[in-house]
Amino acid sequence: MTVSAPSPELTVGRQGHYAGAVSRLVAFGADVGASWGLYTLGVALFNAAYKLVTGSSYNLSNHQILAVVVLAIWEFLYYSYQWAVGGRTIGMAVFGLQVVTAEGGPIGARQAVLRTLGLALSVAFFWFAFWGIIFQRERRALDDFIAGTAVIYSWDARAARLRWIARTEGTTHGAVLHQQVQEHRLEPEQGATSQP
Amino acid sequence: MEQLAQALAERIVPLVIEAIDIDALIDRVDIDKVVNRVDVDKVIGKVDVDKIIDRVDVEKIIERVDLEKVIERVDINAIIEKVNIDALVEQTELGSIIARSTTGIVTEILDVIRAQGVGLDDFIFRWGNRLIGRRRRIAQWPEGPPLLVERKVAPVP
Repeated sequence: MTVSAPSPELTVGRQGHYAGAVSRLVAFGADVGASWGLYTLGVALFNAAYKLVTGSSYNLSNHQILAVVVLAIWEFLYYSYQWAVGGRTIGMAVFGLQVVTAEGGPIGARQAVLRTLGLALSVAFFWFAFWGIIFQRERRALDDFIAGTAVIYSWDARAARLRWIARTEGTTHGAVLHQQVQEHRLEPEQGATSQP
Repeated sequence: MEQLAQALAERIVPLVIEAIDIDALIDRVDIDKVVNRVDVDKVIGKVDVDKIIDRVDVEKIIERVDLEKVIERVDINAIIEKVNIDALVEQTELGSIIARSTTGIVTEILDVIRAQGVGLDDFIFRWGNRLIGRRRRIAQWPEGPPLLVERKVAPVP
């Protein structure tokens, strides 16, 4: 069974358009998971290294205030660094989203930092901060207004579509073409045997 | 007698020519009719094109052509936009080459997930605004930032 390629209206035709609530929420969920996973891995590696060097164990979770501070710094770095470098986090990259300026240009480090702080505020005031993604004309949430940014769909939809076509129609055509070539090669031999 | 005729002709012909209004005469000539009567194929048939081509120094002409200027004037983007890439991939071996050259199916799965996400985004956006009575107004809203998407122009009433 072959699955047809997604509609170009939902892929190629949407690049550069404002991203909607579901994509952004799912990408944010993926980022929460990724940042938390990396934090846990980092803490485990630190504990192991500490035990290896000192011989005694040190568990960060036993020092709750320090753990919260480290986690807050980590989350701040996770979002602000990735937004400053490429305009997207791991979750946003997976779901094909990108943060740009309100005009559509690449964002700078200042905007990345402001957006990270704005996101923290948005998470704290979830119910009104995120309504803008659905009801605001440029689908901007509180963090977007604070940093002067917007979120758009941005993935290589054209290449993905070509790969789809290549794998389904293209390969079928390739196989047919190959068969035709083989038949064409056989034709003269068959003709030769029929001649007296 | 012949001399007399010659002398008369020499006198009369210039007088006649002077008296003729050449412009008026040309105006009365039906050029289209004349052109229609000319057998262009026959004329072309008499022309030795090979001989003409032999005499043309193509190298010299190519040297004189400023290719960069020509390329600058060609709108490559417009040409590329006219090419139906989808059909090209479907109908040529290019498709199988792309399929073989790309690794994994992850990008295609991601493309499906992203497209599903876009569909759900549209659904939530449309119905969310419909519920608060902004169904018509959202049609005028911009689809993306001005640098990336052309702004919608409001229809003239």
